[in-house]
Amino acid sequence: MTATATVPAATVTTAPARKRIWSYWRFYLALSPFYVLFAVFGLYPMLSTIVLAFQRWDGMSARRFTGLGNFAFLVKDPTFWQALENTVVLFLMSTVPTLVLALLLAVMLQSAVRFTNVYRIAYFIPNVTSLVAMAIFFSSIFSTNFGLVNAALRSLGIPQQDWLGQPWGIKIAISTMIVWQWVGYNTLIYLAGLQAIPREQYEAAKVDGAGAVRTFFSITLPQLRPVVLFTVIMSTIGGLQTFTEPQVMVGNSGGTGQSGMTVVLFFYRAAFLDNDYGYAAAIALSIFVLVLLFTAINWRIFRGRGEDR
Amino acid sequence: MELSRRTLLGGFAAVASGLAGGSLVGCSSGMNNAGAPAKKNAATELSFWCWPGGLGKSVLDDTIAHFPDPKIKYSEIGGDFKQKLITTFNGGTSIPDITGLKGEDIASLLPQAERFVDLKTVGADSVLGDYLDWKVKQATTLDGKVIGLPIDVGPTALFYREDIFAAGGLPSDPAKVAEQLKTWDDFFAAGVELKAKNPKAPIVGDAAGLYDMVVGQGTERYISKDNKFIGDQDHIRKAWDTAVKAMTLKIDGRTPSGGPDWNAGLDQGTVPAHIGAAWVALDIKSAVKKSAGKWRLAPTPGGPANFGGSFLAITKNAADPQKAFDVIKYMLSADNEAKAFTDAQIFPSTPAAYDKPELKAKDAFFGGQVPIDIFGPAAKGIPVAYQSPFDDSVAAPFHDELKTVQTGSKTSDAAWSSAVSKAKAIATRQGVQ
Repeated sequence: MTATATVPAATVTTAPARKRIWSYWRFYLALSPFYVLFAVFGLYPMLSTIVLAFQRWDGMSARRFTGLGNFAFLVKDPTFWQALENTVVLFLMSTVPTLVLALLLAVMLQSAVRFTNVYRIAYFIPNVTSLVAMAIFFSSIFSTNFGLVNAALRSLGIPQQDWLGQPWGIKIAISTMIVWQWVGYNTLIYLAGLQAIPREQYEAAKVDGAGAVRTFFSITLPQLRPVVLFTVIMSTIGGLQTFTEPQVMVGNSGGTGQSGMTVVLFFYRAAFLDNDYGYAAAIALSIFVLVLLFTAINWRIFRGRGEDR
Repeated sequence: MELSRRTLLGGFAAVASGLAGGSLVGCSSGMNNAGAPAKKNAATELSFWCWPGGLGKSVLDDTIAHFPDPKIKYSEIGGDFKQKLITTFNGGTSIPDITGLKGEDIASLLPQAERFVDLKTVGADSVLGDYLDWKVKQATTLDGKVIGLPIDVGPTALFYREDIFAAGGLPSDPAKVAEQLKTWDDFFAAGVELKAKNPKAPIVGDAAGLYDMVVGQGTERYISKDNKFIGDQDHIRKAWDTAVKAMTLKIDGRTPSGGPDWNAGLDQGTVPAHIGAAWVALDIKSAVKKSAGKWRLAPTPGGPANFGGSFLAITKNAADPQKAFDVIKYMLSADNEAKAFTDAQIFPSTPAAYDKPELKAKDAFFGGQVPIDIFGPAAKGIPVAYQSPFDDSVAAPFHDELKTVQTGSKTSDAAWSSAVSKAKAIATRQGVQ
């Protein structure tokens, strides 16, 4: 900062500026409920998580300061790296099909004439259904002897699979459920984006003789880029925090070979089963860093390209 | 009247500094909490926490009526009971006078013994002999404090389908089963025989679950009394190998209990047997429709083990620990435990209750067999094993890795060494040598 030059100027101007700011105190008061609630339920837990990450605490006895001890253990913990790998794999296995399916459905809904609202509601219902109830439902669908999936396989003459007992089966079952739950939500967002694209562009394309595929890739997709960016980032934040699906479907240990152990499940296990709260706080911080990192990557991929043009 | 700006700002500043201060000194106040003398509860009522279904309804109603002064205020706490209790302890207010403690949590709460009243100081010596010795030991600290009086226990037995055993050429009468299926080897041999005649009926429901049972039959677990990791030793390896043997003999159904496959399999005969605690009877009864009356009970092969079973404890915050102890002593008397068994199948921790008419009743679900004839001797014969506060955390890798053997993705030896190294890492993290 160019301190010496600006300080006198600042002292001259602050007095009236401050007065102007405080004269709006009624407006600040009107806004304050949000900030007070955020401070109590958002900021305070965040700050205490950061403090806790440098301590050891079993939940009841005295806390002990351990410096970077929790983080040092974290980078050497094979379960953490496995959880990280599982989370990223699950994220890719669920987000890519979710967004592709959602986009297809949105384009189809855009052109459908009858019962559009019925479809919209139907696609959105999974998103508001109780996650635990659905996880129980999906674990019966994928169960070995009496599950629907295996019944379908048997009728096609394919041998039945032990879905929730095999490492890859667990991942398929979990990502299927995530896809099922989030397709409708993203469809609606894409649909809103589609409706904002000017009709004239489509008409012009038609006049120029472009087919449906060409129109989709040359007009729809580029115009939807900001919406796609939004959905990708929302999916990143959600996908990296996958917890309920594996916890209900394969249990707290993450199932066979811990292949359903996500980072948040690992965090839950450290905090509430092992009562190792300091370590859990360190894991929570790592999730935060992970989400930031992935969001930044997505931002670059999906926005950067648009600006280069 | 207008709110003055100055008071408003003052208020905000106070809130803000309170928040900031709270987050930064949170650690130090936590330290003070543990050592400081507990704040006493008000003497006007006796607050009492337990989880849904933890106590018999008629016993509870009777106890509340029996102690009118101070009045017992009972709260049923659902969800993660231990977590809510710990949170309340940390909060420092509304801590109950009397609280239930679950059997799976007791080991991790023993290091917190200073938060609970040592029941010996309020006269527990006179009644401790009425309870199963091994169960009292679970709630006893290494220096001899008793923090909980046992509510119930979970002795195991072999539940089996009489009709399927008979059709498979196995003994089907409980006495004959008890005589012939004494060890795990006997049990596995019977499984191989049954499989030859009825390939759809694997005698072991889930070998990974069986592993826990075998560990529970021993007198040592993963961590020794002097805080050393012993999970890599012979007693654990033996349990591991027993489970793996069931897999290699192909008599493992790979059907974890409680799932939809297990529920359906009980009726259809693809789960012809289950080894589980006394309370599993309720699960089986509610899962089956057709096979009622075809089930029988026999002693667990290889000896009894315990699964579950809880305690009642008095916190240091109790206004009148003596009065609180009178309440739990009354509630957990042999007569009341027998009543609780009729109420909700809460299996008594007092051997005297096993001779009461409530428990001597025949059970039509088990073809008129008297369940206590199997569970009673099992409860008395359960081995005492020291359970460290970190036992469950350390056990987790063994379960996970055993499942990789079960699905064929790892060999037994590879999975074993991976389980041991993961378990050792967890133990070291918790300060075990």
